[in-house]
Amino acid sequence: MIKKALLEVKNLEVDYPYGTEKITAVREVSFTIEEGNVLGIIGESGSGKTSIALALMGLHDKAVETNGEILYNDEYLHTLSEKALNKYRWRDIAIVFQNHLDVLNPVMTIREQILEAIKKHLNLGKKEMDKKIKELLKMVHLEEKWCHAYPHQLSGGMRQKVLIAMSLACDPKLLIVDEPTTALDAISKEEILQLLEGLHKNKKFAMLLISHDMYVIQRLSNKIMVMYEGRVLEEGVTKDVLENPMHVYTRGLLDASLDINPYQDLWGIPEGNKDEETAGCIFQERCYQKKESCREKIPELQYVSLERKVACNRGGIITLLEGRHIHKTYGDGRNPIIACNNCSIKVRSGEIVALIGQSGSGKTTLATILSGLLEEDGGEVLFDEKSVLGNNFTSRKKGIQIIFQDPFSATNGGFTVEEIVKEPLDILKSDTKEEKNRMVKKALEEVQLPITKDFLQRKCSSLSGGQRQRLAIARGLVMEPKLLIADEISSMLDPSTKANVLRLLKGLQNKFGFAMLYITHDLALARKISNKVYIMYQGNIIEEGSACEVFEKPQSDYGKRLLGV
Amino acid sequence: MKKVSNLIKAFSFLGKASVMVMMLFFILAIIPSLLTSHSPYIPSGGALTPPSTLHWMGTDDLGIDLWAQICHGARSSLIVGFGTAFLAAGGGSLIGILGGYYGGKLDGCLMRSIDLMMVVPELPTMIVLGAFFGPSKMNIIIVLSLFSWTRPARIVRSKILSIKEEKYVKVAEGYGGGFSYLARRHFLPQVFPLIMVNFIKLISRAIVAEASLSFLGLGDPTSKSWGLILNHAMSFRGIYFTDFWKWWIIFPLLCIVLMVLAISLISKEIENLLC
Repeated sequence: MIKKALLEVKNLEVDYPYGTEKITAVREVSFTIEEGNVLGIIGESGSGKTSIALALMGLHDKAVETNGEILYNDEYLHTLSEKALNKYRWRDIAIVFQNHLDVLNPVMTIREQILEAIKKHLNLGKKEMDKKIKELLKMVHLEEKWCHAYPHQLSGGMRQKVLIAMSLACDPKLLIVDEPTTALDAISKEEILQLLEGLHKNKKFAMLLISHDMYVIQRLSNKIMVMYEGRVLEEGVTKDVLENPMHVYTRGLLDASLDINPYQDLWGIPEGNKDEETAGCIFQERCYQKKESCREKIPELQYVSLERKVACNRGGIITLLEGRHIHKTYGDGRNPIIACNNCSIKVRSGEIVALIGQSGSGKTTLATILSGLLEEDGGEVLFDEKSVLGNNFTSRKKGIQIIFQDPFSATNGGFTVEEIVKEPLDILKSDTKEEKNRMVKKALEEVQLPITKDFLQRKCSSLSGGQRQRLAIARGLVMEPKLLIADEISSMLDPSTKANVLRLLKGLQNKFGFAMLYITHDLALARKISNKVYIMYQGNIIEEGSACEVFEKPQSDYGKRLLGV
Repeated sequence: MKKVSNLIKAFSFLGKASVMVMMLFFILAIIPSLLTSHSPYIPSGGALTPPSTLHWMGTDDLGIDLWAQICHGARSSLIVGFGTAFLAAGGGSLIGILGGYYGGKLDGCLMRSIDLMMVVPELPTMIVLGAFFGPSKMNIIIVLSLFSWTRPARIVRSKILSIKEEKYVKVAEGYGGGFSYLARRHFLPQVFPLIMVNFIKLISRAIVAEASLSFLGLGDPTSKSWGLILNHAMSFRGIYFTDFWKWWIIFPLLCIVLMVLAISLISKEIENLLC
């Protein structure tokens, strides 16, 4: 059943004056909220979430310019005068402000504050008003004795409840909730969430939920809008968006959220350098799949699938590497060993995919085929929609790089540190000597190895395994890969070195945004670092899915056995 | 050059002494006429005179000065030794690297020809070839090389087979490194010590082989190589019943032994330092 649209916003723009210039906080934002639905708006601080809320309520300062249409129940709110707007405020659209100490008047008691809202909008007698206040307090599970307390005497959670009670005073049809749980402890947070959930269920009001907390959005909303610098980058059904983000920014937010992403290390979205003002996509400085055209072209919010819109010039997160029906057999015709049987695998840009399975399951064969270093018997490998043939992607920058298990075999002991890292550049012959030296030093710095002259001239054979593995990583990094295939790179390292190397790799991955195919038999590790997981068994890929899904509810028998579920 | 001097500096005392000995022989080979006033071809004194101030090492049965012969012989011995070693070790290594790296049919062909070379009886073939091409230093070098390249080729090939499987070679191939790059940067530096050791062994082998060919009359009769002096002395009937062997055999023998010993000591030092 299609519900009736309660609020429709079209091309909303909010500009704040700043000296003679203006700062645009919200640009071309359009959305609809149906009756009884909850729309969540998520984004980092400063992405314009609160500006939208204030614009809807008409609470912006006179100096602030708001453009666009706000249609509430067939009434254009933006055309109304302040007085006419007052009719709608609080009665139809109420707001729960962000919980600061100064939202509530410090010299008025709680009762007086709630009363103020009631008095203004409802014509009630004194007794009825008392009754109403009691009702409201009960509704938000706040004891009556707090009626005469002052705001500073209340805890953060209690103040939030008071704010909710105030907003509900006139039974609004649309509730705007701005950051309901910031700065609350876990118990108060849960309490508020349950309260909002319960109220929403009983009162059936529509809700516009603004938060930077993914968990809150996940709990309460059924649609989600992801905002960045005033623009909507992704829009869709909450469950789908959280499970399968299509915009790089959304995925970054999810990766940075502890509740959604309980096993992995926390990494924020890296900051881009905003030196130059460009006309194109606003996210491009921080985006790692940007193209030249992103500098000029502003992406439009377009449908990429049913009920899902993404604003990206590349149509959302691209599939970087795709292996289709890969087949590989070793040995002779009489006694064939099938290493890969009809294996299909996908790695999206900026994603860490773990390929797990016991020894001899064909993981390394598959990885080597994907990198192009081994020829497949059947199937095809596509990188950025072009076929991978031989070394055509490993032999160029921004291509595929592979790091092997054994650092002693992967680096020539007779080479000096400098020679090892410089090798790919020497073979490519594309840069000047100075440029090469600079790149080598940079790569070594990235992997936290010294760049003293003494160290650069050291023979590789005098280094430890961990150092040599880092050297191998540095050699891969000078090629600025878009995809790094890491084949059991940590299995020969001691736990401490392993932790260091992995943290380093993850940090670099986050910084440069390359995708990674991580091959391992270490389950705990796979759970710790990966976004997606493939399980391989006897040459077949028998299970695939997001890390949470696969580790919590493996579908296949082997998966269950392997993961001990 | 700096590398070589650094390497020699790292040698032990014996190694350094061997280098000194080799240098002395080189000096002999380069400026023999400055070191002796006698001719190596024309008699300059009485026959079979023992060492004296006039003839430092005595004379042979024709009265030719032995020191002059050794000085001039050093050159031909060294040329034959080094020439053969260069040709055989260089060519053999190249064949080994090619066969080991490319594998497949090329490797099969090369290995079978090595097998073939190994079953062919060496000395008779050398005699036939020597006789066919005629006696000259160049021909001796070619004939000796023809029978000496198989060993370095096999050793180098087996080493390349193992290096080829190392991941750094796969990585370099991945970056687009071709055969010449891999051979230059990855293979040669690693097989170099092996080649060196083989090279030096080949020198001594070639010096000895040249001596035997000379003995059979297939050597260059105009060049007074040490082998020729020795063979000449040994063919002197009943030499061991006389005192003549004390200089006529001992001195050239000492030279051969000293040189081969010095060479092998150097090869051992190199093996220790580089391998």
